[in-house]
Amino acid sequence: MKKYAYNEITSMQYIFLNSGIQVSVFFLAMPGKLAEKAGTDGWIALIIGWAITVAASLIVIQVMKKHPEGTLFDLIARYLGKWAGRVAAIFFALYLFYYAYTGLVEAVLLTKAWLLPQTSASTVMLLLLIPTYVIARNGLRVLGRYAELVYMISLWIPFVYLFPLKDAHWLNMVPLLKEGWKPVFSAVPTTFFSYIGFATTFILYPFLKNKQKASSAILISDTLTMLGYLFITVICFVYYSPDEIQKYNEPVVNILEAIEFNFVERMEVLFIAFFLLIFSLAWIPTIYMGVFCTSWLLGKQDHRNHLRILWLITALSTFFFIPTFNQNDRMNDFLIQIGIGIEYVFPGCLLVYLWVQDRFQWGKRL
Amino acid sequence: MNKRLLHAILIATVIVIIASCSDRLDMEDATHALLVGFDLDKENELILYSTSPVFSKNVEKKTRELRVKPQTNRQSRGKQDSYTEGVFQGRSIQVLLLSKRILQQENWFQLTDVWFRDPKNPLTPRIIAFDGPLSEIIYLNPKDQPMLPILLREMVETKNARSETVKTTLQGLHQQIREKGVTPIISEVRLKDKQIAITGTTLLDHKGKYADSLNMQETILLRILQKNTKKSVNLTIPIPGEMKIGPFHTDKVSLNADEIKVKIKTSFLKDKFQFHMHITMRVGLSELLFPFDVRSQGKELENKITEQVQMNFENLIKKIQTDKIDPIGLGLYAQAHEYSHFKKVEDHWGETLANADIHVSVKTIIGAMGTVK
Repeated sequence: MKKYAYNEITSMQYIFLNSGIQVSVFFLAMPGKLAEKAGTDGWIALIIGWAITVAASLIVIQVMKKHPEGTLFDLIARYLGKWAGRVAAIFFALYLFYYAYTGLVEAVLLTKAWLLPQTSASTVMLLLLIPTYVIARNGLRVLGRYAELVYMISLWIPFVYLFPLKDAHWLNMVPLLKEGWKPVFSAVPTTFFSYIGFATTFILYPFLKNKQKASSAILISDTLTMLGYLFITVICFVYYSPDEIQKYNEPVVNILEAIEFNFVERMEVLFIAFFLLIFSLAWIPTIYMGVFCTSWLLGKQDHRNHLRILWLITALSTFFFIPTFNQNDRMNDFLIQIGIGIEYVFPGCLLVYLWVQDRFQWGKRL
Repeated sequence: MNKRLLHAILIATVIVIIASCSDRLDMEDATHALLVGFDLDKENELILYSTSPVFSKNVEKKTRELRVKPQTNRQSRGKQDSYTEGVFQGRSIQVLLLSKRILQQENWFQLTDVWFRDPKNPLTPRIIAFDGPLSEIIYLNPKDQPMLPILLREMVETKNARSETVKTTLQGLHQQIREKGVTPIISEVRLKDKQIAITGTTLLDHKGKYADSLNMQETILLRILQKNTKKSVNLTIPIPGEMKIGPFHTDKVSLNADEIKVKIKTSFLKDKFQFHMHITMRVGLSELLFPFDVRSQGKELENKITEQVQMNFENLIKKIQTDKIDPIGLGLYAQAHEYSHFKKVEDHWGETLANADIHVSVKTIIGAMGTVK
């Protein structure tokens, strides 16, 4: 029986959804972070990180092929017992909530810093949460369409980033491997920041309309993310000097301050406002999938009540506490640590376990 | 019924939220400074000037100049507020004017921190050096010219298009100061007989301190070396051996150079950086003040021009090397091609470049002689 048939998503929607979660808020700081670790060779680390990510995401797909009609939790429940499935669901829900919350907080802080310095953080948070609820309550198909829409209307952005290129110093990029391979490899874990989020495939997989194409879809999606990051990183590297780029918190935004049109001042402000649409892909799908996990846990079909509760908690908590920039940085660091665990290590272990189990038929529970 | 209630709550929330958006500023409550100037008085205390437009029918003068003595750039805002009817705004600054006394200090650039830290401020004001105390130019207000910020902005804009000065914005200056392999270069303005004139560029050292000035022709040459010329450039050079008759400089020839190709080769030999620059220019004659048969003796004129242009380049490089600065950005080439050697000297690149061997070879081709022989 197709349990999730009423909410199928196309490959296209899946690609944009996955890539949207990956790009997210961390996009703005990435070139600076890479430059800190590896100088202008940071872009090589991005490609290495991409290769590892592709491997990890293909493993995820392989795992899901063992039980194509259910989510990860159905699969774990089948192989390891009901309780293991529940534990996995709890962990996943916590991870996704944390992912969404970090993204939201970062977006709020950015909006406050660049757009609305005098408006309170809780107001900004509420303004972001209202559309979040409107979209997330509708289920996956609407989410997929939303991701598609956001991607389509953002296609013009790369062209604007070509403007600063007239002041570019391409000489910054050579020589390649200035300090050898070591700094490049040390920057690879940082790049995972730009790729985490693909583990949502564990939940998205059963909804896929065309499961044969899942591998190529995730490959396209990872590549899309990589190209986006590579593009923006290279532009920042050739525009800023290697030392200077580390002075900015969000070089991707600062670079826009150099653009000057006679008819509009302060381009970057318009951009931050527009970027919020792209950033929203970091928390809307993850919030949705988080409540999906908790609903699964309690065996309910309708996720909306959980969503409402979560929404209220988030909205109310911002009145009492909103992290500072430094706390947010630490939250990000923590996110990437558990992200590596959940998205890179866990699928590999799971695949090996499943393979061993199938091979020797240890557990003949079925 | 239930749904209605929900909608009512939703609408009420939205109204409350929108009303509490506190980031708005009414036009009449704002004073927009278009120009900000830094100067030091005789006791070396910071003076900050600003020029803002006045929008009022009954006021005869179109601009308002303010002079305050703050301790920091941001603090000046409060002080200026006390003189104006609106709140001082930095978001439309077009020009940042620096007096020579400021430029003689190290680390004056730190004053600009607020513009980088507070994202409400633009990073596009043009940086202009003024040779003298700012009070001379700020209060000049000539009746036959647009207001000073607009005048300066347009001057930089158009002269930059002809490569006669540079357009260095705040962001550009930040980049030039932070980059180790290059030193900053900004536009220069002087007062000549009470007339405001752009005279070329001011060269700064690594710390932003005044190093030297270049006139317009030298600026053009510098920009050729930077591979940063826009459109075609004009050069006027003397040809030795030609007679000067009367009060007129009849030994001069004016060129219009386009298709300028610069090749820079970098190497490291005998503990010294070596730069070989090959400049190929296709020039058109635009003025010839002495009789010369260009058609038959074109080759000869070409050689003479080449020799002169080459000499000009060599003088410029000598000047730069004596000042221990690198406005050309040769450090970028050194970094790209001799990374390990550059890394050792990057913190005192200016001095290193002063000892480097820089060779220039010029090749000019007369591509057009104009419409007369």
